[in-house]
Amino acid sequence: MYIWFQSDLAGMPIKFYVSIILFFFSFQVVSAQNKYNLSGTIRDANTGETLIGATVKLSGKTTVATSTNAYGYYALTQPEGDYTVIISYAGYISATKAISLNKDIKLNEELKTANDLEEVTVSAKNRKNENVKSAQMGLERVDMKSLNSIPVLLGEKDILKTIQLLPGVKSGGEGNTGFYVRGGAADQNLIILDEAVVYNSSHLLGFFSTFNADAIKDVSLYKGGMPAQYGGRLSSVLDVKMDDGNNKEFKFQGGIGLIASRLKAEGPIVKDKGSFMVSFRRTYIDLFLKASPDSSVNGSTLNFYDINAKANYKIDDKNTIYLSGYFGKDNIGVKDLFENNWGNVTTTLRLNHIFSDRLFSNTSLIYNNYNYTVRLLNDVTNFKATSLVRDFNFKQDFQYFSNKHTLRFGLNATHHRISPIDITTTQESQVNPLTQEKRYGLESAVYVSDEWAATEKLNFLYGVRVAAFSLLGPGNFSTYDAAGNITSTENVESGKFYKNYLNLEPRFSVSYLFNEENSVKASYNRNTQNIHILTNATSSSPTDQYVLSSNNIKPEIADQVAIGYFKNLEDNNYEFSGEVYYKWLQNQIDYKNAAQLLANSNIESELLYGSGRAYGLELFFKKKFGKLNGWVGYTLSRTERKFAELNNGNYFPARQDRTHDVSLVGIYNMSKRWTFSSSFIYSTGNAVTFPAGIYTIGGQTAYYYTERNAGRMPYNMRLDVSATLEGKNKGKYQSSWNFGIYNVLARKNPYSIEFKTDPTNTSRTVAEQTSLFGLIPSVTWNFKF
Amino acid sequence: MKKLFIYLSFLGLLFTSCKKIITIDTDNAPPQIVIEGKITDRLTTQQIKITKTIGYSDALVFPTVSGASVKVTDSRGNNYIFSETAPGIYTNRMRGVSGVTYNLDVTAEGKNYTASSKMPNNVKLDSIGIIVNSFFGNERKTAAAYLVDPIGETNFYHFNLYVNDYLSQRFYVSNDRLTNGNQLRIQLFFKSNNNNNDSDELNSNDKVRVEMECIDSNIFDYWYALSEQSGRGPNQGTTPANPTSNISNNALGYFSAHTYQTLSIVVP
Repeated sequence: MYIWFQSDLAGMPIKFYVSIILFFFSFQVVSAQNKYNLSGTIRDANTGETLIGATVKLSGKTTVATSTNAYGYYALTQPEGDYTVIISYAGYISATKAISLNKDIKLNEELKTANDLEEVTVSAKNRKNENVKSAQMGLERVDMKSLNSIPVLLGEKDILKTIQLLPGVKSGGEGNTGFYVRGGAADQNLIILDEAVVYNSSHLLGFFSTFNADAIKDVSLYKGGMPAQYGGRLSSVLDVKMDDGNNKEFKFQGGIGLIASRLKAEGPIVKDKGSFMVSFRRTYIDLFLKASPDSSVNGSTLNFYDINAKANYKIDDKNTIYLSGYFGKDNIGVKDLFENNWGNVTTTLRLNHIFSDRLFSNTSLIYNNYNYTVRLLNDVTNFKATSLVRDFNFKQDFQYFSNKHTLRFGLNATHHRISPIDITTTQESQVNPLTQEKRYGLESAVYVSDEWAATEKLNFLYGVRVAAFSLLGPGNFSTYDAAGNITSTENVESGKFYKNYLNLEPRFSVSYLFNEENSVKASYNRNTQNIHILTNATSSSPTDQYVLSSNNIKPEIADQVAIGYFKNLEDNNYEFSGEVYYKWLQNQIDYKNAAQLLANSNIESELLYGSGRAYGLELFFKKKFGKLNGWVGYTLSRTERKFAELNNGNYFPARQDRTHDVSLVGIYNMSKRWTFSSSFIYSTGNAVTFPAGIYTIGGQTAYYYTERNAGRMPYNMRLDVSATLEGKNKGKYQSSWNFGIYNVLARKNPYSIEFKTDPTNTSRTVAEQTSLFGLIPSVTWNFKF
Repeated sequence: MKKLFIYLSFLGLLFTSCKKIITIDTDNAPPQIVIEGKITDRLTTQQIKITKTIGYSDALVFPTVSGASVKVTDSRGNNYIFSETAPGIYTNRMRGVSGVTYNLDVTAEGKNYTASSKMPNNVKLDSIGIIVNSFFGNERKTAAAYLVDPIGETNFYHFNLYVNDYLSQRFYVSNDRLTNGNQLRIQLFFKSNNNNNDSDELNSNDKVRVEMECIDSNIFDYWYALSEQSGRGPNQGTTPANPTSNISNNALGYFSAHTYQTLSIVVP
């Protein structure tokens, strides 16, 4: 068994990592004399939802603060004494309690929402400077409340489109939910919903995301400095958590929009002990098609739907069980011509167990799959092609809360099965049945990290993840020469480990506070990736092919360093941050000329391997509270790739290399009933290859290309606006109207460019740009009771 | 990628996509040599054309390359000297044979270019026909080629479609990777040179002629790369690149030894 060790990192020997681990364990030997714990769970007083990231501050002789984890749990240790506990969370009224810490204390608290704008402004002052103090860098948390007011295409609020308005995150294209983070590719984002991987996060070819905002509680995007519990993708982690459901009373909410309707129900299973949430969404574009008198139009389908469901039950003070799932499907079809459907399924079963006040454990069993079917119904090319990616995932995560340390450690094992394509045909079909060999892989990892408040001014978040990948049998594994011919094929039996890779992924972040409102931070992290999308389309497509690392494909590796300056102004009302990053990418994948990616058993013979680099500056200025709030983001960046076989072996810009990227979001709360908002984006056009010459071949015009991606698409610019009108308050029943206009300036943003002979002057060549969307109005009605 | 087209048509129903002519910023490359050489299995005047590229913004007049020395040898020891019969056009009357490898040797403007291609077995073009497709209620006539793919070998096909003697501006290429050994009906969607979709329709009494060539795998890759790029500019699909040529020394173009058949039909 050949173990491929990544020990070349900046010349640091393996011993170094080991000493890091030993180093921070040594800090855990703290004297427990006269020290007691304060621990508990923080919830919303109205719904019983746990609050993630709420601040718990203990002030007395000394002051310490912590924030609640993903399950609303916190724990603090302090010497015996009298303290004031302040619990705060943005948008909620803070709670203050006096306690005598002379024994271990359990303090569960429920915070009330601040409904009025005035109260928001007040309560906000309590959760201070978290962004400045924490060692964590490159983290963006999407505020689910402001999400509701940000204008989007056709009024379907969407977390993936909202994160594209943040610096360092670039859109996959107009109206598209695909995204690129800090120069990475679209398949280098780890997108997880309640810990389950969502392989294809788009509906309707990327115009909408799989995340129904109604069912989402919390969204965190890590652009860098990924904590060690996350792994498996190079560029980012998008951690999406579903609502737990109201454990106090039954609630319903929903909305009717131009293209989709939503309905959500939640309520207690046993009051204060358990709750459920079910949310459903469906589009009805095809109802318009049905209205057509034309039989081939009204027989067509074009829809998607998704269901989010979750239930939790608190067995006792120490054990809570969660079950959550997602099911979504897209259907596109033209009568008698073709059908295409695709969707994700995820299921997560979790057990929270509190071993002691200080040791919090979460055990997860996760199942997820992504599958698609394409059917051609034409009489002679009749076939059905199906494809599936399926994961079984086990995660065990521990959090140990000590005086100045929060230690996190655990393990993770994922079994992948990829069925690349399975083609079945009719007797008359001219296409042959084909089953491409399945591929099996095992990804396993152990990790440990420590969040350490070393001094009042110095915070560390550091750790290491050891990631192993094994390509498993059964299968026939071929190796290829440079021309793509098979040089040898090995037949591997079921259950055999054919190819193994082991990577060490160090993660390190530090913050140094000049004072409460100013800090500098630095981070370094390595990420590796063993599941890769092969596609030559611009954005995600339902028929994207997934491949595992193999004898031919080495794990992708990214090393990122970043430094940043963080400043808060005027009592946290304004946040400013500036970050610069540099990223090295290894074992990147591109394609040979004339590569055939679909239904190709020798797909790995069509690949090229190279490297990349990405660097940039991100500036972010945010006004958090008040009548007018919003943010401005600016990114100056470059992302390049290098392949021996492409562009004469020189670096060339990746397609998503956009030098300048500006986004501006403004939300104006005019009155209790009216909210206006707008978003503006500007970005440099994509890097594309333009012809440098023309010739004729086969009686047709062909273009001669020199430098790869040396040309630029025209720039993108768009202004969207929306207005929300809250209905008059009628007790429990609330409703609101949302009106939006997408692309108010009706600017024709470039989608693609085609070259052709000028029809009006046949001796000339012209470039013709296609734009997708003009000005698009929308209206949505939402209700809640 | 026909599917993408269908998707976009779908979205086109919902949204108004629009097109406009823009100017782009690109450098004109210095002229490159382009060699297009074909040896067919018919006894005819075989042609090897040598031209040059023009810059992107130049008028569409392609310079020819005269005074080159052009010869073809085959694996059976035959030697064919091609002589220039028109500017940039080099000819020799001969017949190619399936199973024989042909080697091209061109010396032009002081540089030497070589290539080789093995003529595959011929697969009979049984017939051509006109079929009617219905797409969103529009009936559309399409030319189709009918043939039986031999089961024992890997086959590559290239077609040219002429409508009223006008060459369709699309690259038609297929292989039998997923269709080996079957009766095939290969649809050839017409594309005229003007950008009006209506003029891409076949009408009654149009004269349709189809040429079918059985090509080798390098030439398949060559046409396939072009077909993947044609009609779709940058930012869509594959990053455009020069198709891999089987000719040495960075010449553009190809040298193909292939079988040749042609059939005609009048659209009913």
